[in-house]
Amino acid sequence: MNYWEFLIQYLPKMASGAVMTVSVMICALLLAVTISIIFGLMRITNSKPIQGVAFVYIEFFRGTSLLVQLYWIYYVLPLMGLTLSPFMSGVIALGLNFGAYGAEVVRGGIQAVPKAQWEAALALNFSSKQRIRRIIIPQTFTIILPPAANLTVELLKATALVALITVVDLMFVAKQLNATTWLSAQVFGTALLVYYAMARFALIPFLRWLEVLAARKVGKS
Amino acid sequence: MEWRWEFAIEILPRMLWATGNTLLAAGAGYAIAMVVGLILMFGQQTPYRVVNIVVRELVEFVRSTPLLVQLFFVFFVAPQFGVTLSAWTSAMLTIGLHFGTYLSEVYRGALEGVPKSQWEACRALNFSTVYTYRRVILPQAFPIALPGMGNYLVGIFKDTPLLATIGVAELMHTANALGAETYRYLEPYTMVGAIFLIISLPTALGLRRLEAAVARHQGKLNH
Amino acid sequence: MLQNLKSKALSVMVGALLIGTAQAATADELSDRINAGEPIRLGFATAIPWAYPGDNGEPLGFVNAIALVVLEEMGITNYETSVNEWAGLIPGLQANRYDIITGGMYILKSRCENMNFSDPIGLFGDAMLVPAGNPKGIHNYQDVISTGAKLVTGAGFNTVEAAKKEGVPEDQMMLVAGEVEILAAMNAGRADVAVQTFFGAKEHVDKSNGKFEVTNPADMPEWTKNWVGIGMRHSDTDFLAAFNEAMAKVVGGEAWMANTAEYGYTEFQLPGEDASTEFACANR
Repeated sequence: MNYWEFLIQYLPKMASGAVMTVSVMICALLLAVTISIIFGLMRITNSKPIQGVAFVYIEFFRGTSLLVQLYWIYYVLPLMGLTLSPFMSGVIALGLNFGAYGAEVVRGGIQAVPKAQWEAALALNFSSKQRIRRIIIPQTFTIILPPAANLTVELLKATALVALITVVDLMFVAKQLNATTWLSAQVFGTALLVYYAMARFALIPFLRWLEVLAARKVGKS
Repeated sequence: MEWRWEFAIEILPRMLWATGNTLLAAGAGYAIAMVVGLILMFGQQTPYRVVNIVVRELVEFVRSTPLLVQLFFVFFVAPQFGVTLSAWTSAMLTIGLHFGTYLSEVYRGALEGVPKSQWEACRALNFSTVYTYRRVILPQAFPIALPGMGNYLVGIFKDTPLLATIGVAELMHTANALGAETYRYLEPYTMVGAIFLIISLPTALGLRRLEAAVARHQGKLNH
Repeated sequence: MLQNLKSKALSVMVGALLIGTAQAATADELSDRINAGEPIRLGFATAIPWAYPGDNGEPLGFVNAIALVVLEEMGITNYETSVNEWAGLIPGLQANRYDIITGGMYILKSRCENMNFSDPIGLFGDAMLVPAGNPKGIHNYQDVISTGAKLVTGAGFNTVEAAKKEGVPEDQMMLVAGEVEILAAMNAGRADVAVQTFFGAKEHVDKSNGKFEVTNPADMPEWTKNWVGIGMRHSDTDFLAAFNEAMAKVVGGEAWMANTAEYGYTEFQLPGEDASTEFACANR
């Protein structure tokens, strides 16, 4: 069959896999953002123990491979009594891993806001809360958005790994189609194109729009 | 399920041998990536606009798609077109191309980070292109590129487990095989994680020291 | 006197009640779930024609077909499927990700230590997949050793154990994830010979359009011929008993043979009167 016929017959199946990919990505993203903020802030508190905990977490999850973490959560945790569904295992592994990278980005972002801003806010008699909310956070946003955007694209690509723990995402569907049809070039080629389309024509424009939004807000305030 | 030390010690030799394979794969892959990165970067600066655009699109495509899918593509498709490569070779080429695209962006950013005035001064002083690059531009670009290059070195090392899916006998693959043979997963998978930590943490630390030393050598302030 | 009798009767009644409820409480978890109306979960890998998923995840393959026939006899028609990598089937079962393994597992001693098998569903053998014409003349593991050929098989397959027992050196073994990767490795010339089940090898020959051929399974060591069972957790003993009971009624029957015919299962594969899981667990 030619490529067109291939697409007509199999693209719907691959599309449903892509939907699962997006679900995994969004859930993992929510978890990662939460962890990034919490641990990023923990890294810059004045309390040494809290800093230490965050440091250990970040270095641990950045220093080990995502696939190893994924397999551990999927295969070893049940031996300790905790069996998470494949979907949850994937989301948690991705969230914990990318949360660690994100925490460093958040930390770098907050520390990159010029000291002068903190001092000026103090001099102008802003309360601590107002200072954080009106001055520091908007500026942090613009600084962290480009590296955060990179991480988000990385996260989308990393979701492909959950196929190895039986989550029926785009990669899994591609493997199954390959197993039954052996049209490897079409199957994996199309999978690559779908990932590319998702990253280049949906995710990245959205992230660019966020950056523009953040920049405008800072300009205004 | 309890941790069995005798079992852990029993499988340690096999895991250490696999670690050697992992390091070899990471090293070879990175070497290929460094070269590919250069080619891809210069491929975007040729005098021919079409070539530049094609290479640019290729870089974007490879950068934006999962390494895992690329590995499967090369593993399954290449033979169907008569290109028979060992699992090792297809793994190296794929990972080299994938990280080569990342490195090409790092190189590009580093070159752009060198002030334009440097280039102009070299032209004014009538330096040859080779001399310009070798003595003026690259030494200044290198410290800028180093953090990115270091990150991707650690990154390529941590991506080697993906090679297990196409049968390369590295660390993750060995852990999988051990688990399947002995029905014990706790020790193999935990040891894999520990070995990765033991290797990547000092490496990351060493890279940071290297960046600081290079920056100091250049007379730039430590940031 | 009456008082005595009354209290004795009371204690007997209380005792009976306790024993009765205790027995109800120890009926295994799987049976409880099935009785509560939940679907049974089948776990298998992609191994044509043994067990593989259809376009909508339906359980295809003759092991699945047999399992479904037995389950129907038990009155269970509500099921779900879980498609896994072969090596992940046993840990997945132990982690309660699904309830029975219908991948087509040989009953081996090492496996019996980690799970239970139903009564055998058939007797099967292994064979080797070689390039057409068998240029290296490989027919069994000893030939592999003597020719120094590269042998590929799947992680967690029974053939890994068998190859080790026969003395195939580690550097001649190549392990991949499963059936699909085995054929890919052979296609790409990454391995000289593959060892797998006879049915699996035949499937690959069909898929390869004459590029490969199967060796004679009779050339393989006698002890590699083995029975296949449906896998269950150690703790699900009641369900196992009920399953075996139902299987005894339908084995080799009309539905059994009709549903497996399309996959190549014939009466030659039937387990036979003297097939026993205990024997296989002890001797394989």
